[in-house]
Amino acid sequence: MGPILEVQGVSKSFGGVEALKDVTLKVEEGSVTGLIGPNGSGKTTLFNVIAGFYQPDSGRVLFEGRRIDGLNPDEVYNMGLARTFQNPRPFSSMTTLENLMLSPRGQIGESLAKAPLRRLWSGEEFKIAKNIKDFMSRVGIADLYKMRVSDLSGGHIKMVETSKGILGGARLILLDEPAAGLQYAVGRGVFEYINSLRKSLNLTFFVIEHRIDLLFDFADYIYVLHMGRLLSEGKPKEVASDPEVIRAYIGG
Amino acid sequence: MFDVVSFLISWLTLFGIYAILALCLNMETGYTGMANFGLVAFFGIGAFMTGYLSISSFLSYFGYNYPIYSLDAVIAMGRVSDKNPILNIGVFFLSLTFSFLVSGSVGYLVSYPTLRVGPAFLGITILSFGEMTRVFMRHFQPTGGAYGLLGVPNPFAWVQQPTLKGLLFLLLTFAILAAAFVYFEVLSNSPYGRVLRSIREDEVSSLCIGKSVPAVKAKLLFVASGMSGVAGSLLAFYLGSVSPDMFGTAVTFEVWSMVILGGRGNHVGALLGALVFSLLGRASSAFNFLFPGLAIDPNYVRWMLMGAVIVIILMYRPKGILVEKPVRTEAWRVFEGEEGRMVFHRKIGGVIKKALWWLMGREVR
Repeated sequence: MGPILEVQGVSKSFGGVEALKDVTLKVEEGSVTGLIGPNGSGKTTLFNVIAGFYQPDSGRVLFEGRRIDGLNPDEVYNMGLARTFQNPRPFSSMTTLENLMLSPRGQIGESLAKAPLRRLWSGEEFKIAKNIKDFMSRVGIADLYKMRVSDLSGGHIKMVETSKGILGGARLILLDEPAAGLQYAVGRGVFEYINSLRKSLNLTFFVIEHRIDLLFDFADYIYVLHMGRLLSEGKPKEVASDPEVIRAYIGG
Repeated sequence: MFDVVSFLISWLTLFGIYAILALCLNMETGYTGMANFGLVAFFGIGAFMTGYLSISSFLSYFGYNYPIYSLDAVIAMGRVSDKNPILNIGVFFLSLTFSFLVSGSVGYLVSYPTLRVGPAFLGITILSFGEMTRVFMRHFQPTGGAYGLLGVPNPFAWVQQPTLKGLLFLLLTFAILAAAFVYFEVLSNSPYGRVLRSIREDEVSSLCIGKSVPAVKAKLLFVASGMSGVAGSLLAFYLGSVSPDMFGTAVTFEVWSMVILGGRGNHVGALLGALVFSLLGRASSAFNFLFPGLAIDPNYVRWMLMGAVIVIILMYRPKGILVEKPVRTEAWRVFEGEEGRMVFHRKIGGVIKKALWWLMGREVR
């Protein structure tokens, strides 16, 4: 399978700070690709460029062969590329069900003109809800539908966040530290969940993670960013034994 | 002698007008999280639009050639406003439509540049726009400058009995209020309402799941500002006059307090807030009339009471009296099954109720 996402020579600077310098990488379709690097190495900036929050100063971003740099975040999502945030940003005072119902793309009832006429959208709404119910019971969170997201546990919130992209029909999901702040076993649960989804739904994940022990167990390929540059890449084992990576992390 | 009937009619009419404003603000602030501090601008634009349109159409229909703000025009309006009932009603609906369109478009244009940045920018922009509009109208001669316009023809001016006239206007106001309530209730209980609430919760997150936030906000502002304009139009017809100083910033904050009291994100709450605060307003005038020579004018006590109510509400019930409910669409039926729904229907012998719920776009539970 070919690459689903290609980042070609992307640079981005803020004022005088060069956050990304000529970064080129590829994410293969159907893989879990990891992105690691010390704090401030530009990982999240790269995600922001891919997801449409920032325009790159130079370089191109291709998703399924089409250019997506310069598009707005909502347009990028509607092409099938979803992202999550380092600190989860769910719609806290809404229920889990409402959070998930929001993600399917292009709902008829979401237009101002058509919303007052229930007959136009109630059928579609019913179908989406059935889908979501199936999905939720498969993942094991079906009985949480009524709860406000602010009342859920950290692990469940991360699951809901990841599920949003999947229910929106995304083919590539950018995860920003899915296991951050979670206890080891729960973090592992999140990764197992990601892995099972990848297999059953043929999704691709591009993951930033500081918990290298977890990431290396599940990722197929790893990129290492350091000071905005790509320092190393390869299979987890190769990267783990790369002396440059070790120096960057330990600070030699 | 204190006339209870006319007190009730005037209170409820003002309640109707303010309730429409509160519903609009509830859509903008309670659901979408846009801080609209300049609601009064659209209210005022609607009122002036109405004054200008109705008086000039009457004068030209009856062949007078006075400027609309002149004393001659006021006298002429007094003579002709009850001559032709069809004209009265026609001008009423025409003015309402134009007020909606003009206020809506202005709301859209004013807010468009600020929609991509945070809510504070929108709030400040609209706040200053409201004040600008008031000052502009004070010095704009074609609508009478600081004196404003007198002699706006009541749609029921041809009814001789004053109580009946007031009652008819009250019914008309309530009909428009009911339409606005049902419309907003349906909107906020649809997938569209869900999008609005997601924007309030987290704009960036909403953008990240493919909602084009600026466009959604701009369209909502068109509708809500337009409805505020309709409320302004009703006020002009009710009072029979418009003047710039009726539309100071205080009006905006009175409507804000209604929404805070009733509960953000709950339309019934907005109505409740409007009921309480319009009663406070009318009752203070009545007090002034009943007990002349008080040490302090009740009209000012009212503002103090308003402040006290807000402080108490924010301390003990920060979400308002009536708390927001989750959006109920078909989705709930999938999760909760059909049985409860059928029993409920049989119990109330439901045809009428079901029709009502259907109209409101809510899932029956």
